[in-house]
Order: sequence, then C-alpha cells, then structure tokens
Amino acid sequence: MNGNKGLFSIWLAVLGVAIVAGLFTTVKLFAQGHGLFNANDVLLWTLPLGVYIFLALSSSGLTLLSGLPLVFGVQKYEVFAKRLVFLAIATLCGAFVAIGLELGSVFHMIYIVFSPNLSSPIWWMGAIYSLELVVLIVKFWRMHRGDWHSGFSKNLGTASFILALVAPLMIGSVFGITESRVTYFGPVMSIYCLVMAFLSGTALFNLYSLVVNRVMGNGVAAELYEEFAVIFAYAAGVVVVFTLLKYAIESATVVPEFLVYREFEHAFGTVGVFHSEVLLGLFLPFVLLLIPSVRKTAFGKILTSALILLGTLFMHMEILLAGQSHPVGPKAEQYPGFISYFPSIWEILVFVFALAIVLLLYTLGERYLKLAEAPE
Amino acid sequence: MPRYAMIIDLQRCVGCGACSIACRNENNVPEGIYWSNKITETSGTFPNVRYHYIPTLCNHCEYAPCVRGCPTRAMHKLDNGITMHDPKKCIGCKYCEFNCPYGVIYFNWGKPHKFWQDTRAAIRGGTASPEEVVREVGGKAVPYYNPEREATLPGIRPTGVVEKCTFCDHRVKKGELPYCVEACPADARIFGDISDPNSDVRRLLGKFRPFRLREQLGTGPHIFYIRGYNPAAYQPTKGGV
Repeated sequence: MNGNKGLFSIWLAVLGVAIVAGLFTTVKLFAQGHGLFNANDVLLWTLPLGVYIFLALSSSGLTLLSGLPLVFGVQKYEVFAKRLVFLAIATLCGAFVAIGLELGSVFHMIYIVFSPNLSSPIWWMGAIYSLELVVLIVKFWRMHRGDWHSGFSKNLGTASFILALVAPLMIGSVFGITESRVTYFGPVMSIYCLVMAFLSGTALFNLYSLVVNRVMGNGVAAELYEEFAVIFAYAAGVVVVFTLLKYAIESATVVPEFLVYREFEHAFGTVGVFHSEVLLGLFLPFVLLLIPSVRKTAFGKILTSALILLGTLFMHMEILLAGQSHPVGPKAEQYPGFISYFPSIWEILVFVFALAIVLLLYTLGERYLKLAEAPE
Repeated sequence: MPRYAMIIDLQRCVGCGACSIACRNENNVPEGIYWSNKITETSGTFPNVRYHYIPTLCNHCEYAPCVRGCPTRAMHKLDNGITMHDPKKCIGCKYCEFNCPYGVIYFNWGKPHKFWQDTRAAIRGGTASPEEVVREVGGKAVPYYNPEREATLPGIRPTGVVEKCTFCDHRVKKGELPYCVEACPADARIFGDISDPNSDVRRLLGKFRPFRLREQLGTGPHIFYIRGYNPAAYQPTKGGV
C-alpha cells in the first residue's frame, strides 16, 4: 500500500462506493421497512444476521488470540498483539453495522439501557459485545500510547479476553434456549459458537497478516507464522470433531424436526452425506493443514485460511436458515411447508456495507496506526 | 387480580372464521398479519379421511418464551396474565417471533395497510381509489378503523415492530369480552378468570379433559381446547372380528 499510491486510491474509491451504497441501503430500509429483504414471518433472520454472527464471532476469535501475548504473557507473540486487537475492533464494528441494519427499529435501542431484560440472551449479547468494543478500544489506545504492561493495561487485556469468551456463548444461547427449535441443538450451540469464533478469528488473522506481509513486508519471523498455522490446525480440528458429532446426532435421531432437517436442509448442496460448505470449507482445509508441505508454504496458509473463512460464513448461514425454513403452527396456513431463500439485492448490500466498513478500518489502521508495533 | 384464560370448545366451533374477521376489525390488523388464526390438517387416506380445524391466537403463556427473550421488555406480562407488547420499546429484533412455539407473532415488514393508500381507482373510471374511500368515510389508514384500539396500543402498529393478540385488553379493561369471543356465532369461546374457582373457565376445565398446544414445552398456555367435533359412528364389534 505504501509503494503504490494509485492502487491505494483505487482501493479507497472502491470502499467509498461500497459505503455510499450501504448508506443508501440504510435510508431505503428505514424508509420502506425490512420487506426489502427476502425474509418473511417464517424465515425471520437472513443474510444480514448471518453476517453479524460471522463477524462478531470472528472478532471474539481475534480477541481470544490476542490473549496469548496479552493475558498469558507469550512474549514472542507480542508482535501480533496490537494488530489482533485492532482487527477485533474493526471486525466488531462491521458486525454492529450488520445487526443495526437487521433491526426493524434501531432507534428504540435506547430501551436496551432503560428497560433491560436480564433473562434475555439478546440483551446479554448486545451488552457484552458493546462492553467488549469499549474495552478493546481503550486497550488499543493504551498500547498505542506505549502502555503495554501497566496493571491497568493488563487488566484491560484480561477483561477483553473474558468478554470474548462469554460473548460467543451468548450468541449461541440466542438460538440454544429456543425450546421449540430443537435443530439448534440447545445449549451445545453456545460451545459450537465459541469454537467457531476461535477458528474464524484465527483464519482471519492468518489470512490478513500473510496478505499484509506479502504486500508491505512486516519483518515478522517466519517461525511465528508457522506456529500460528499449528494453532489454526488445532482450532480446525476441534471444529471438525464437533461437526462430526453434530452429523452423528442428526443422522441417528428420530425427532421429527430432525427428520425434516435431514430431508431438506442443504442450502449449499451436499457431497455424499456432507454439506458442501463443511466439506470444502472445513474438512478439506483441515486435511491440507495436516500436510506439512502445504501448511508451511505461504500459499497453503492463505488457501486454507480463505477456505475456512468462507466455510465458517456458509456454515453459519446454513445453521441459521435450516432452523427457520419451516412454518410454525398456523403460519403453515399462509406459507409453504418449506421456504427457499436467496438474498435480495438489499441484503447483499448490507453485507457489502459491513464488509466495506471492516476493510476501510483495516486499511486506515494499517496505514496510520503502526499495527506491527511491539514493546521494547 | 384475575388471571385471564380462554377455552375453545372444538365441538361448538364450526370453523366459520368470524373470530378472525372480528379480530381484524377490532384491532385494525394489517394484511398478512393474523392475531387470530387457525391450524387445519387433513388426516387419513380417501375415503377414510378426516379434517381438523383448530382456532389459534396468542396463548398468553404463563412462562412466555417471547417475554423471557425480549431484550427491552417490550413484550411483557400484565398483572392479569395478558402478554402485552409495547411497540415504543420494540427494537424489531424479532426474537419473540423466533422464540414463540405457536407461530402467533408477526412482524410489520412494510407500511401497514398499504392497499388503502393506493390512489388509483380500483376499476379505472368506474370506482373510487382505496385512498379516496378511506378519506370519504373518515377512516384512518383503513375505512373500518377502530379508534378504541388506541386505548392501550397504537391503533396501527408502525413498520419495523412486531404485533400479536392482546386478548383485547382494551375491552377487557372495560369489563367487556375479547371481540373474537363476542363475535363467535356458536359461543365456542369461553373467556374468564382462571384463578376464580367459580368461573365458567374453571368449571369447564374441571368438567372436560382439556388440551393445550405443545404442552410438553412447559410454557403454560392460557388457551385451552375442550371436546372435538366428531359426528361419526361405527358398528360395534368384538375386537374387530
């Protein structure tokens, strides 16, 4: 980016266009309502919410990863710490854009503060992510000012780590405590969200830092990337085990909702008994990561990270849609037994808007905030 | 304080849908949204078939999942057990709708009563436009607008929030029956105080064996169904031999 002003300007212009399109979408949505989405009273939550889940969980994953140097004192990773915290902030901002545009009456958000419901997982999710954003910003500010190891700075690191552990559990419980939708796997969904957060956060960091390293060169020792690739492989392994367990339960149970689920829920197609996104976005990159000659190359790392990043987005979408594609109770009188879905242009623009915000922040942060900085 | 509940007598219910129409009029319910609805199903194989009809509305659950999950307490319980919604506090997250096991909560995806805002004549050159009709009869958004609904809830709920049955709390407050109960030509709906041992609701619950929808979820619905319409007879035999 430093070397080529022309390319940088074009990149900023592309992001600018995406953000203007996003702002237009925002005005349109709040003027005309969410009927612009291909959602209805059966399929309530669609692409914007899937994007929120993906970005919010990735942000938590990045924060968890930053805990290695900032909470557990692994000094050799301090060179990644500032970038990890910044990426977590930027990614969370994108998540907030997506959820903001998903809500029907975003201006009533004030009642989250004035009329809180402590039994609501959505309240906890919103509160924890808001707090996490504040703590991360303050932590970043301290690091930027050179305060890495004061008690205050360390406590901020610990607080953000704890918040990042709890927040994915809350996203999971939004789905998990819904008694009437058993295909969300109840409380297990929270654990699933936590491991997915760590996986997508690690994938995002690997992909981002390797691309930045290629473009700008940041002088970080290659061994550190090797070690991160191993952490990445472990994270993928945990999700692989979890996903296989999920498949086993889904295929063995005779609970009626799961029978329907088995029959219809293949939003992105299947290969054999496996969903395409799981096969290509999780199992394949995991196998590739197990091969040292692939894992150790920059191309191998970038490929596996990109596959997993896309895979996690599609897996979240699959789970989100699958649990709500059948009408509940009397809604079967109005709607067909199975609702198919493809996002509307407005939903895609919400996705583009959130992504553009994330990428713009990444770009500006990389250029102006010395993200490769580490303590002496 | 009373705890309100409703009994629907399936033997008396003829499936005429008067409850749904009355509800729409009373509560200015927009198109595509059903506070009062039904579940229909056909079972068996021809010629041995049977048709089931179950009227539905908000169950005003004792342990309502929609109330538990609402982040701003827009969905809340009144002291009399009615599950009520405050559109001013609703952020439009739709979690109540997602969480409701009974499919009785709806979201306002667009401008409500859009049809009646149309300025084009229904038949070009022959009739008035819907918008003109509303204006001529002095309605508000719809020609049959009921201002009494405004007593406890915006007469027409805005875009971007959910809405559902309120047991006609604005009528109940005045000592009147919910309008679906009032309008039922077969007197199939019995409404009253479940905490009063002498109420009709309690008497009927004691007399018949009621069922509730998805009772196994533990939500404690306050809509009970009794009896069932079945005029069929069959020849008695010893074990079908």
